[in-house]
Amino acid sequence: MASINYKAEGTVTDIQRFSVHDGPGIRTIVFLKGCPLSCFWCCNPETQPRQPVVLFSRDKCIGCGKCVVACKQHAASLENPGRIDRSRCIGCGECANVCPTGALVLKGETMNVEQVVRILKKDSIIYRKSKGGITLSGGEPLMQWQYATELLKACKAQGWHTAIETTGFGSEEAIEAVFPYIDVALMDIKSMDPVMHKKVTGVSNEIIHRNARRIAELSKLTVRVPTIPTVNATVEDFQKICDFAKTLNGVDTIHVLPYHRLGVNKYELLNKDYPMGHEIESMKPAEAVPFQKVVEKNGFRCVIGG
Amino acid sequence: MYNQTSMIAKGFTKPTARVQRLKQAIYDATPVLEVERMVLMTKAYQESEDLSPVMRRAKAMEKLLNNMHVTIRDDELIVGSVTEHPRSSEIHVELSLEWLLDELDTISTRPADPYYLSEESKEIIRSLAPYWKGRTNSEYALSLMSKECMDALEHGVYDSGSYLYGGVGHSQVDYGRILERGYEGVIQDCEAELAKLDRSDPDCIKKEQFYKALMITYTAAINFAHRYADKAEEMAAVEANPVRKAELKQIAKNCRRVPQYGATNFYEAVQSFWFVHCIIRIECNGYSYSPGPFDRYMYPFYKMDTEISEEFAQELLDCLYVKFNDSATCRDKITAQAFAGYGMFEQIALSGMDERGNDITNDVSYLCLNAAAHVQMPQPSNGVRISNQTPDEFLYRVCEVVRLGFGQPAIFNDEVIIEAMMNRGIPLEVARTYSPSGCVEPTIAHFYDGWHSPAFFNLAKVLEITLHNGMDKGVQLGPKTGDVRTFTCIDQVVDAFETQLQYFVRQLVDNLNCVDYAFKEKTPNTFQSALISDCIAKGKTVQEGGARYNWTGPQGIAVADTGDAIYAIEKNVFIDKKFTMSELMDAVDHNFGRVVGENQPTYQPTCNAAAPSYENETEKTIYEVVRAILNKTGSVSMSDFQSYAPATAADYDAIYRICDATPSYGNDIDEVDKYAALVARLYCEELVKYRNVRGGIFQAALFPVSGNVIYGYDVGALPSGRLAETPLADGVSPRPGKDVHGPTAAANSVSKLDHALASNGTLYNQKYLPSALAGDQGLMNLAAVIRGYFDRKGMEMQFNVVDRATLIAAQQNPEQYKNLVVRVAGYSANFTKLAKDMQDNIIARTEQDF
Repeated sequence: MASINYKAEGTVTDIQRFSVHDGPGIRTIVFLKGCPLSCFWCCNPETQPRQPVVLFSRDKCIGCGKCVVACKQHAASLENPGRIDRSRCIGCGECANVCPTGALVLKGETMNVEQVVRILKKDSIIYRKSKGGITLSGGEPLMQWQYATELLKACKAQGWHTAIETTGFGSEEAIEAVFPYIDVALMDIKSMDPVMHKKVTGVSNEIIHRNARRIAELSKLTVRVPTIPTVNATVEDFQKICDFAKTLNGVDTIHVLPYHRLGVNKYELLNKDYPMGHEIESMKPAEAVPFQKVVEKNGFRCVIGG
Repeated sequence: MYNQTSMIAKGFTKPTARVQRLKQAIYDATPVLEVERMVLMTKAYQESEDLSPVMRRAKAMEKLLNNMHVTIRDDELIVGSVTEHPRSSEIHVELSLEWLLDELDTISTRPADPYYLSEESKEIIRSLAPYWKGRTNSEYALSLMSKECMDALEHGVYDSGSYLYGGVGHSQVDYGRILERGYEGVIQDCEAELAKLDRSDPDCIKKEQFYKALMITYTAAINFAHRYADKAEEMAAVEANPVRKAELKQIAKNCRRVPQYGATNFYEAVQSFWFVHCIIRIECNGYSYSPGPFDRYMYPFYKMDTEISEEFAQELLDCLYVKFNDSATCRDKITAQAFAGYGMFEQIALSGMDERGNDITNDVSYLCLNAAAHVQMPQPSNGVRISNQTPDEFLYRVCEVVRLGFGQPAIFNDEVIIEAMMNRGIPLEVARTYSPSGCVEPTIAHFYDGWHSPAFFNLAKVLEITLHNGMDKGVQLGPKTGDVRTFTCIDQVVDAFETQLQYFVRQLVDNLNCVDYAFKEKTPNTFQSALISDCIAKGKTVQEGGARYNWTGPQGIAVADTGDAIYAIEKNVFIDKKFTMSELMDAVDHNFGRVVGENQPTYQPTCNAAAPSYENETEKTIYEVVRAILNKTGSVSMSDFQSYAPATAADYDAIYRICDATPSYGNDIDEVDKYAALVARLYCEELVKYRNVRGGIFQAALFPVSGNVIYGYDVGALPSGRLAETPLADGVSPRPGKDVHGPTAAANSVSKLDHALASNGTLYNQKYLPSALAGDQGLMNLAAVIRGYFDRKGMEMQFNVVDRATLIAAQQNPEQYKNLVVRVAGYSANFTKLAKDMQDNIIARTEQDF
């Protein structure tokens, strides 16, 4: 019997119950904090840093000043419209602890495997009834691969189905540790062009493509393509991605994920600029049709917005 | 998300052109308040003053059934009309009249459930009114009540309006017996009982009166059907269209045979069923006369009928479903708001198990689901019983109907309800045959006089009174349970609440037993009594306790609001110490600095309590000041006024935001949910200590019908941050918008209540966007949610599947959305016929997006 370290600790951004778009059935998603990529269109920018971050909602603030007193780094001040000086903040969460109205919220919490599993168990009946399970997402779960491995082993000990949403960016060691416990891998392929990939994500796609081959051998792999105007939203780009997908073991489905701007307000909560800028609008479902055609012409099942 | 071919979803056919026309005729009809019954009833009562109550009622039924209009509408295959005009109401004058006299000039234009009333009819009502002065059931009941129970009623602690002004209803008569043996069978049974009577037995005279009364009633009921046969023959004789002519001849033939005798085929069975149901509605305007286990007693006639095609059987059921919408019950304006939507709350129960625990899903179960999908009208309600062994195929079909988005069917959990009934002393074999009735109330078909939902008991109001040491609006309404400002732990609050609850439940019991007694003494139902076991065997009417099982089941409302308010006190005052109890109560007494009624609809009903209607902002402010001072001191003097610093939003805003941000019931947090569960338990356990007039006990329900909006007007601000006079949460559902962790977390919270204790029913509403239930995966996920909730011992679930944009569009352009039916609470109603604040409340209920 495999040993499981229930005391292993990791940083969890959020645990979201009742998700049906991230693997089969009804699932609970565990978002692990930290991502080595910084994609321009990222809709969860608060998950990129490995450490906890504080989000500030101006409309909930009553100006009581308790955060200013609580902050030992002198990062909080009522004069600052964004409330927190990000250069000083260390993500300790003291301000969020004292905030009476939830205007300051700490995203990212240290949790051990046992604590996470306790929450996951709340919907265990639903996983059984719906043939659902657990999905690890991020950030990039491989950033915390040792923790992810222990968590996945604990899920398997409950008999749960497991899935992962991943960029595929991680060490060989991480891949070999995590994927034996993953039933379904949903993995992004963003661009086959190394220059473009490096420019819009901050990392090379070489490692990602190498890992994709190995992941496809260890788990059931589905390729997901975030479809981003100015990056890869052309028929030619999609053809290249399909050509690559054909070389991966057992891939039969490609998800086309149309670009959307739902994450914009999170950049405001973080006092950051939105790298995609504000000119490009969310894609309409009809705009995804040409890419669907490419995918299907290449013999894959296509799901839009999977 | 998946665009694959559906394997589970079967889709629905279109109803026939006839069914569509019948349906349209109902939608096009303007509800009319008719006076025929009142005229006949007055005559009958004037002629029978010297008779015993039961004989008087029989004579009255005889008068009605022999003289009422006989109306066969265009296209009908199933006949029998309560009213001359479709979707209309008669006046049950013997029950109550005062409210109607007050509303004569406003009833056509009132916000909830208006009825057209002609000047001529008004004159007739006025001319007959003097006879009824002091003679109605409601006046009698009111005359019996104590001052304390009237005070609590007037302060809105509870509302027993529906039984006080209308009939009791809420029973499932023995349709199956009439389908098999006909009315003749009842008459034979009465004859047999009469023959057995021993003249030396002192009860003999009373029993003899009872059996003779039943025979008079059923003889008239046979004649009622024959009058329809005559009418159909007359119409056939002059009908030019040969197809319709043949239909009318068939109708005549059916009415000649049933329900006098047993049915010999499916068509006769459907017609016989409707005649029984029709007379039930004529006899008494109580609502929720539910058909009960319809698929179970209809199936033998479908199976034996070798000639009928599935299509025609479907059309007959579709016609029957439309027919349920053919008449309505006009209620007083307050009750009409609580039961908005011309509802009759008659629930057809499908599937479930038999005495031995075998699944009884059959062809008629599926045909009825189709009928519900074809007709998509507010009546009848459909309830399905789901047990662990119910076939997935049936549940998926149910989910497919749910997905159509008209709020039906309601889904009941056998595994909890059977347990709940056994806990009330009902044997296993009997408990297994329960069927839901009305909104969500479990009933043992024709063995029950459930007195389901005779009153709303406002738990949030009780908490408000607790927080004011028994005071309400300057009156010491409840016992003195201590000044909460001096309390040092949450147990003191809970103890005080329990004491207040005990006091007000006692008043509620007194109130309802007075109404119960009035029905027993004045208004027994003879037609109904023959079809409720064991009335004939006991020689007693239902109202005298003739049923095998007798209950009184008032609903506790605002479980979520009350639980959340108690938790907010514990968390913020006693655990986190964010402010003191005094600071909190100051904020609460000032409605957190907000003007009462701000952002509230202009239409301003208040149940029982004196209705605050403000001419302008200043008046509102003065009202608030007075209310605050009264709550504190019990009286107002000029010096109070001068020393009183008017509250502003800013003063209490910080407290409000903290209160409002307190975790709420509905998010699967044990520390929070335990208080909603506690409040529910205290109410349930208190009620069962009391007995009713018919020899049974009280038992609790936990659902508000649509009363969560109007009873909200009676409740001031609460420590949960709920503002004064705003709506309360519906059913056992979380407060609108407060369940933020998705439907499984919400359902888990709700399942922490001990549903089995609320043996008169609980109700849990979830709302989904259509996209959330798309595809076969959507059906499977919905089924999983239901099975999951039921595994955790939840009792009942129902769904609204409609998007927010559609609801808002319907609110703005009601003409284009006449057909939009939504789940209100325990029943469905036309969205556009609901009052605006009810519409707003439905829009506000959390949408669960996947």
